[in-house]
Amino acid sequence: MTLVIQLIFGLVAALIIGAAMMVVLVRNVIHAALWLIACFFGVGALYLLLQAEFLAVVQVLIYVGAISILILFAIMLTRQVTGEGVRQLVGGWRLWLTVAISALLFAVVIVPTVASQQWNVPPPLGPEGAPEPLAGPAELGRGFVSEFLLQFEVAGVLLTVALIGAIVVAYEERARRRRVLTLAEEHELRKRAAASDQPAGD
Amino acid sequence: MEPLQIPPVNLILLAPLLTVVGWASALLLVDVFLIPEGKKKLTGYLAIAGLLVAGLVGLPLWNVSGSTFSGMLVLDRYSLSLTWIFVIVGALSIAMALDYLPRHGIEQGEFYPLIMFAVAGMILLAQGTDLIVLFLGIEALSITLYILTGFAYPRLTSEEAAMKYLVLGAFAAGFFVYGIALVYGATGTTSLAGIAEFLGRQTLVAEDQTLLLAGAGMVLIAFSFKTALVPFHMWTPDVYEGSPTPVAAFMSVGTKGAALAALLRVLAFAFEGVQAYWLPVLAALAAITMVVGNLGALGQTNVKRMLAYSSIGHAGYILLGIMVASERGAEAFLFYLLAYALTNLGAFGVVIALEQQGESVWSIEDFAGLYQRRPMLAVAMALFMFSLAGVPPTAGFMAKFFIFTAAYEGGLGWLALVGVITSAIAAYFYLRVVVKMFMQEPAREVQPELNRGLNADIIIAGVATLLIGLVPTPFIFLAQQSLVALGG
Repeated sequence: MTLVIQLIFGLVAALIIGAAMMVVLVRNVIHAALWLIACFFGVGALYLLLQAEFLAVVQVLIYVGAISILILFAIMLTRQVTGEGVRQLVGGWRLWLTVAISALLFAVVIVPTVASQQWNVPPPLGPEGAPEPLAGPAELGRGFVSEFLLQFEVAGVLLTVALIGAIVVAYEERARRRRVLTLAEEHELRKRAAASDQPAGD
Repeated sequence: MEPLQIPPVNLILLAPLLTVVGWASALLLVDVFLIPEGKKKLTGYLAIAGLLVAGLVGLPLWNVSGSTFSGMLVLDRYSLSLTWIFVIVGALSIAMALDYLPRHGIEQGEFYPLIMFAVAGMILLAQGTDLIVLFLGIEALSITLYILTGFAYPRLTSEEAAMKYLVLGAFAAGFFVYGIALVYGATGTTSLAGIAEFLGRQTLVAEDQTLLLAGAGMVLIAFSFKTALVPFHMWTPDVYEGSPTPVAAFMSVGTKGAALAALLRVLAFAFEGVQAYWLPVLAALAAITMVVGNLGALGQTNVKRMLAYSSIGHAGYILLGIMVASERGAEAFLFYLLAYALTNLGAFGVVIALEQQGESVWSIEDFAGLYQRRPMLAVAMALFMFSLAGVPPTAGFMAKFFIFTAAYEGGLGWLALVGVITSAIAAYFYLRVVVKMFMQEPAREVQPELNRGLNADIIIAGVATLLIGLVPTPFIFLAQQSLVALGG
């Protein structure tokens, strides 16, 4: 059983890392976004392996469902869609030097952490001495209205501010452009134009 | 299914915070429905009133302390003093913006409530005792500032500044969350008290706690980004230059102050047990911040960029007080923050007065001969420059004196020495402005624009700068009283 699980874990991990690599390696931005979706799916599968079903569903709903679509929309609405002909900022030996330095810096952090942390920590125990229940929707909901009430409410304020900001930015842009007509107004205009055309045509 | 247990919540403890958030939300609606286009200045006045009310609401809480929301928030004198400083900063920034916005054709009523939301984020940072709450506070502050930075939308530099700030800020947020996750993995809690308890429970062997140390390091990096410590300072000059000047003024004191205040609580309270690990790191950061910030300002001919580098340098000085983390250090921190906030807001006020419509140069040449045209403005600017340089009898001198003393007593003598030397270097570029104003002929015609809000701002800042410098005792007393129950 554990062998099967480890096999699945290996496959999922390979999928995540491979997809994440492809996100930064492919030239075409849309392809990168699609690889990102694959990566998100892998993370969702990882949550399933950890028996956090709710998180897995949320991961798929929010990241795969909403965020990826947003990214794709954003790419489609910007002018340079593919980014095929974009010049790379660093190339040749400098690129490899950059890669080496980044890898080295990352290793400085990650190697000692992975090597010396005691990983076989027992899962935290709940108040009754039994292993703490894994976070399902009920526990999460309970957490939001009890222990993490403040965070929940502050997050609400935060989102409001972000929405206001979006409106401020978007409104400004619209004010600079020509005003966009509503359908009704357009209809009205067309009718009036047709009416004024009539006598001129006679 | 058991009924939900909502924990007892003591709303009194967050009365100033609630006032600011509530007032800002109401003001948004009032602004849209009641205040006609072209009279948006009224919104600004209402916002200032709201901030002052929030400050007054805090007054009766001076002798109250306690924590609420399952220990996520704490009210103590430290947070209350910070709240007052932030309220003053917010009100003065709005006063500066009252005429700046219409003059540059970027007036929108939302500006003022957004500043209030930013102040709310800052208060949250002062009161939060949980890493997640601190994260939310930082994000509330940052998201507002991303919007405000890009507020001068037609100006391309403003947009560029907002973009740079957003991208780097998002990186910082990522570091912060990653750090919190690692700390949680190591200690099983995100509350500062919980972390302190965990560290107190066991004798720490670094090799066993790499997860915790890595997490703490990441959190430190995030804070360094927000407070623009070298080498995480690259965005600062560009963002300050591009953003509307009142916003730059607000950022230079507000964000820095709030993030440093939270950092002080995190380090002195949660990670006190691992001081041996973070002290050398922070000491190195402070040293290069002081050196790079002040050296960077030397070559600037753009006053706004100069003030940006100067604010980087000052963050280094403030860091000294945080590192000592004793009562003495925290006192010096509060005092320095107050002095620096008022001085810097005043200096930015003068820059705004000289900022010509539709221009995006803030050349130091515009200050030439200011004394002949506007003697009072020149004297005020000279006062602020002296204070930033740390010349007696201004607030800046007393603040530097305290912070260096605290650092010396805390066993960081070499850092105090670096501070003194860099202050001497800094005197060059601050005094250069003074020399230009008093001893040179104007290079071109610059018409300073002064109005009620700006006048009030410069006068308040100037008087306070002098007052704190001449009669520091009551302010020191206030700072000392603020630390009666730090941590709570």
